[in-house]
Amino acid sequence: MATAVVARPVARPQARARDEEVLVWPDLVFIEFIAAMVFTLTLFLLAFLINAPLLDQANADVTPNPSKAPWYLLNLQELLLHMNAAMAGVIIPTIWLVILGAFPYFDREQDGQGEWFGTEGAVKITIAAGLVGFLGCWALILWDSGKLAFFMHDWFGISGGDSLRFLADVRSFQTQLPWPDWSKEITYLPFNLKLLSSDAPGGPTQFQHLDFPGWIVEQGIPIAVMVGLPCIMIYTMWRIGWVQTRRDAVLALFSGFIGAYGVLTLVGTAFRGQGQELVFPWELKVSEGIPGQEAGGH
Amino acid sequence: MAVEQPTRPTIADKIYDKMFHNYLWKSIFRTGYPNTPRNQMLVVATNVFLHLHPTRIHRTHVKITHTYCLGGLSFFMFLGLTITGILLMFYYVPSVDRAYLDIQNIQTNVQFGQLMRNMHRWMAHAMVILVFMHMMRVFYTGAYKPPREFNWVVGVILLVLTFLLSFTGYLLPWDQLAFWAITVGTNIAGSAPVLGPKSRFWLLGGLQVGPDALIRFYTLHVIGLPLLAAIFMAVHFWRIRRDGGLARPL
Repeated sequence: MATAVVARPVARPQARARDEEVLVWPDLVFIEFIAAMVFTLTLFLLAFLINAPLLDQANADVTPNPSKAPWYLLNLQELLLHMNAAMAGVIIPTIWLVILGAFPYFDREQDGQGEWFGTEGAVKITIAAGLVGFLGCWALILWDSGKLAFFMHDWFGISGGDSLRFLADVRSFQTQLPWPDWSKEITYLPFNLKLLSSDAPGGPTQFQHLDFPGWIVEQGIPIAVMVGLPCIMIYTMWRIGWVQTRRDAVLALFSGFIGAYGVLTLVGTAFRGQGQELVFPWELKVSEGIPGQEAGGH
Repeated sequence: MAVEQPTRPTIADKIYDKMFHNYLWKSIFRTGYPNTPRNQMLVVATNVFLHLHPTRIHRTHVKITHTYCLGGLSFFMFLGLTITGILLMFYYVPSVDRAYLDIQNIQTNVQFGQLMRNMHRWMAHAMVILVFMHMMRVFYTGAYKPPREFNWVVGVILLVLTFLLSFTGYLLPWDQLAFWAITVGTNIAGSAPVLGPKSRFWLLGGLQVGPDALIRFYTLHVIGLPLLAAIFMAVHFWRIRRDGGLARPL
């Protein structure tokens, strides 16, 4: 008996439907020309009306408050406020880019290509997942900034009492729960990369201490939220019959990302004031800082 | 019934003949003016720039709502940024002593300098937005599906390169906005486990944003990253053609 391992064939380009074709000149070239002209004129107009910003000359001794990255990185700067810096700034974006690139290797069906949304439930999945990402991200930011507890108390007169104080924000898990002393000094031996890290203390055999409550706040809860919530959302959509194919699952994941990414960028850009405090956009002020004085951190 | 006789050439026909059937025109364009289907196909097939396109495409692909021209406009922004960028390079020296003064000089003493700088800045923002929207368009039309898997990956790389191009350009005016944005941005990169401090040092050429960082960002911005982006764009466009043009329903 001969058994051959046959690799799944790689999809080939579609055959052309020549009777359905139009000429690139003029049908496409003119559209491109018009689009290019519209953008050129719009940008010229914009450039006439609004000048590119130029502040005072760079000065390492004068820190503006708040100091912000370019707007398209403010989503990461916003994440940094809520969790471990390495995770927010590098690990999560890297993992997400890999997941993004891997979409077509997960969703390999050729059906539904070349048309908007493409599956039966695609539009409702997109809207629902986008809303989950949008509202969920807002809720998490408000919670972690202590604003939810503030609204509950000051607007509705509801306070959880002392027993629920650990729910005020994520940091309260570390400060408000009665952690035993040993949990803050769990000893373990990780690989010590002294060669690569210039400031790693001790030799390769030195034991390291893990602050478990700190780990829970900085890494545990954020990982649980970021992995758990999308999984719960997609699982729920699958159970109620919205998500039926891999395409649907990817649609839900991507739309949720767009919602959350939008909120992170928006909050980082328009809602973070001095000391990275959460403020309304119209309350946002930038202080130029005083020479020789560090800006207030969060 | 009278047989239709050829009419005498009008004055317009004579002008047309002089313009498009002369030795000089034909030495440049080979084909006549693209007013017949044959010439229209030839002009696309024989012109190096138009040859990015096939001569004919499926009728669904000329619908604006199918692509919103987002990919093409991203490329157009890249071209516009190259042109305005070259003009700015005539006046800008990437040294800590001169950078800020050069920008002020461009804005006040150079004719249309302020306009060029504004165009460059707004086009850069537009490119980031357009590239991101292009990614969303490709995703929601299922255009990443087989056989276009790899071109989606190339697109993700181009998205990252677009961010990096914009980020490296952000430092060049050497004002407070630039300095502190790059300080915050490179601190984010520096927080990476294991390789973070090293990569931050490599990026800045030191422990903080200074003269070495400026020259590195400038070099990456004007030659390193554009070259890399151009290579990936070439692959991206080539693969669109090889994978059967734009995606359309099976």
